Amino acid sequence: MRTSFSNKLVDLAKSDPRVLLMTGDHGYSLFDDFRRQCPDQFINVGIAEQNMVGMAAGFAKMGFRPFVYGLAAFIPIRTLEQIKIDIAHDKHPVVFLGDGAGFVYSHLGTSHQSTEDIACLRAVPNMTIISPADSLEMSVGLQFAYELNAAVYVRVGKADLGQIHSDYSQVQSSLDLVKINSGDSERPGIIASGSMVGTARQIGEILELNVWSCPKIKPLDEESIKTAANESKGLVTLEEHSVIGGLGAAVAEIVSEQNLGRVVRIGVKDRFTDKCGSYSYLLEEHGLDQNSITLEIKKKFRI
Amino acid sequence: MLLPKSKRKLKNNKFLPARLRATILKMAFAGSTVHIACAFSLVEILSVLYRSFLRFPDSDPESIGRDFLVLSKGHGVMAQYACLHEMGWLDDASIEQYCRDGTELKGLSDSRVKGLEVTSGSLGHGLPIAVGIAKAAKLKKTNQRVFVILGDGELNEGTNWEAMLFASHHRLDNLLVVIDCNGLQAMGRTHEILGLGDLSKKFESFGFAAIEVNGHDENEIEEAIESCLSGANAKPTAIVANTVKGKGVSFMEDDNRWHYTRLSQETYDRALGELMSGDEK
Repeated sequence: MRTSFSNKLVDLAKSDPRVLLMTGDHGYSLFDDFRRQCPDQFINVGIAEQNMVGMAAGFAKMGFRPFVYGLAAFIPIRTLEQIKIDIAHDKHPVVFLGDGAGFVYSHLGTSHQSTEDIACLRAVPNMTIISPADSLEMSVGLQFAYELNAAVYVRVGKADLGQIHSDYSQVQSSLDLVKINSGDSERPGIIASGSMVGTARQIGEILELNVWSCPKIKPLDEESIKTAANESKGLVTLEEHSVIGGLGAAVAEIVSEQNLGRVVRIGVKDRFTDKCGSYSYLLEEHGLDQNSITLEIKKKFRI
Repeated sequence: MLLPKSKRKLKNNKFLPARLRATILKMAFAGSTVHIACAFSLVEILSVLYRSFLRFPDSDPESIGRDFLVLSKGHGVMAQYACLHEMGWLDDASIEQYCRDGTELKGLSDSRVKGLEVTSGSLGHGLPIAVGIAKAAKLKKTNQRVFVILGDGELNEGTNWEAMLFASHHRLDNLLVVIDCNGLQAMGRTHEILGLGDLSKKFESFGFAAIEVNGHDENEIEEAIESCLSGANAKPTAIVANTVKGKGVSFMEDDNRWHYTRLSQETYDRALGELMSGDEK
């Protein structure tokens, strides 16, 4: 997924000289290719993320198309006010790339983990939020963000979890829900995003559940959520993000307003990480490993 | 003092400080708003910039090739409204109906108003945006200039210092920062709350050229800007403009209550009377 990420940014920059890649001194080897091929479109502003986002507004005012890269812990969290006032308010076409979202930096602790980024940005007007699950969703997602010509947050989570889709035809260019497993309509369906989509599919295959990948979290397509609710008996949402304000909340808002049934949100349960450990260790700590999720679904839905 | 050699447009009264202050007073009275003293302290700075330096092709505030004036100290926005009124970009009704329900002009700078570049008032936002514009102008090889007005209290915000590092590292000589140094911030004197020390030296140590001026002396301001724009420095410039908060109305000068106080009919009449009689102190 990271190769796809880097390649797509190079493609966009080579085809459009207005594209600038800005970083706050992150992306040490990730951007080697970009720096080699588009050196004049790469700006390392130093370890100063707030200045970077303000500068992106200045670049956008002058007709550039900034892609602002940082760790999700800083882009968007540290820079939320700059994103709100300098970018979103003016509808500037700036794409934010928040890397390492969720528990990717498992050993580094809370400062580098990010499980509140979607919740914070969802409440900011004019923001579009996407959370790709594999290299194809990432590539389509970056193209989508570029063409939208608006403020977009691209959440980049755990990147080495394998493919969800086998070719581009399986990803909607609108990034709306895509069904990736067909199961029993008398059982709950799972809507998952980002790093959790692969786990959702595995659980879906075992328990015979419908599973959808949901790359675009805001705006969330109401019709496809309605369809998912109607094709299943209850919904489970699955994300490496707080259960407050993320995909689960967005789905639950639609489902409850439309009176379509039950939503069980599975994600980070309003707590910081406690211990140090590997990525898979932290998923277990937070009850987001396949086994814990399976047990929770079985218990909640009496499967 | 001698008139500088540059092009001062004094054919009519446009941008005369007393006239700008009168517009500010009218707005503040009409809208029963605060921040009058914040606006008064930067009147001469804005007057000189609009009259002598800012270039707007086709007199269009949104012209692609324009110079940029970024008012980071959004609390002084009434002074900029007064200038936009002089430019003919705001009509009389906008002034007379300031802050009424459903009107466009807000109490702090808002980028949706033509002629205002940024949404500010949350402090520390303007300089990073201005630095982005200045770097973009360098990349595009245009000769556009970027002027930024900061408050001295605003320099408490760390983003300014991040932006300064970038501006000097990238030698953005098309960036000119004016600090409206009135010595007061929301809760008192800047040197008592969070002292800035020798501001010129601070800017110089951050890689800027720095010039100190009397921020109410138009000739001094104009000469300082002229010398900065000559391009000899090959670095960004800071003009430390020493100003008086509330300048122009005797009972407002250097009195921080006029950061917050609204005008009564009596104070409005007195203040306007002073301005109209040219009795500025």
